[in-house]
Amino acid sequence: MIEKGTEQIPECMTIQSRLSDIAPVSVWLDALALRHVIPKNIQFAMNLCLEEALSNIIRHGYDGADDRSIWVRFSRPDPSKFILTIDDEAPRFNPLELPEIEPNGRVGEIQVGGQGVRLIRAFADAVEYEPTASGNRLRMSFSSTSADRTIRN
Amino acid sequence: MSIATEELTGGITRVILDGKLDIEGAAAVDMQMNLIGGSRQAVLVDLQKVSYLGSMGLRALLAPAQAILRRGGKIVLFGPNEMVEKVLTSSRVHTVIPVHHELEAALAALQ
Repeated sequence: MIEKGTEQIPECMTIQSRLSDIAPVSVWLDALALRHVIPKNIQFAMNLCLEEALSNIIRHGYDGADDRSIWVRFSRPDPSKFILTIDDEAPRFNPLELPEIEPNGRVGEIQVGGQGVRLIRAFADAVEYEPTASGNRLRMSFSSTSADRTIRN
Repeated sequence: MSIATEELTGGITRVILDGKLDIEGAAAVDMQMNLIGGSRQAVLVDLQKVSYLGSMGLRALLAPAQAILRRGGKIVLFGPNEMVEKVLTSSRVHTVIPVHHELEAALAALQ
């Protein structure tokens, strides 16, 4: 479901906890990018972080259950800043507490899984986590002017 | 997402990927990538037309690459755009599969 609003009102989308529901979110984000003239590299970063966060919630937070809800909200507090906020009802889990995966230096021996949080850290300018009454909230910020990145939890 | 292969001289297989390597894109090419990983010794993965790469896409590249490397074969990535390359470096996949922007250098690395 897409709720359209003005630029001052955050725009929201609700999906079910299925990997196949992530593709429509990407289409929604593409439309927002067009509407808000979001630079291509920022759009790429937002798509990537959203896909990784949603995929983690569906596969790990909801443990594969396909009938749960996830809420995604877009906001633009100032012309150069874009924020994606994701709410779920999964058990409390702060992805920012996951340790960085260290390479072991052996050729061909890099971890196939577990890259999602690393990519979110690399591509979002700021990431904040907070537990909610019913689950978790992850807020990822993207700036078209700042290279600064902040991790908060 | 589409995948095509081309046999080059020197026993090199060029794998041309075209589209978004997101969850759906990765699922679309996963089986063929694994077949390539299980059967070829020298593989150039052409990423020039890949506009997006997520962690599932990384998995579709890494799993066959590790199969090739375990058998003593070689694999390189060729021509990623700036953001796709940032995904490769952020995930450190570039330490396992070398990334090249010049075709001659990519082919030379497979000799």
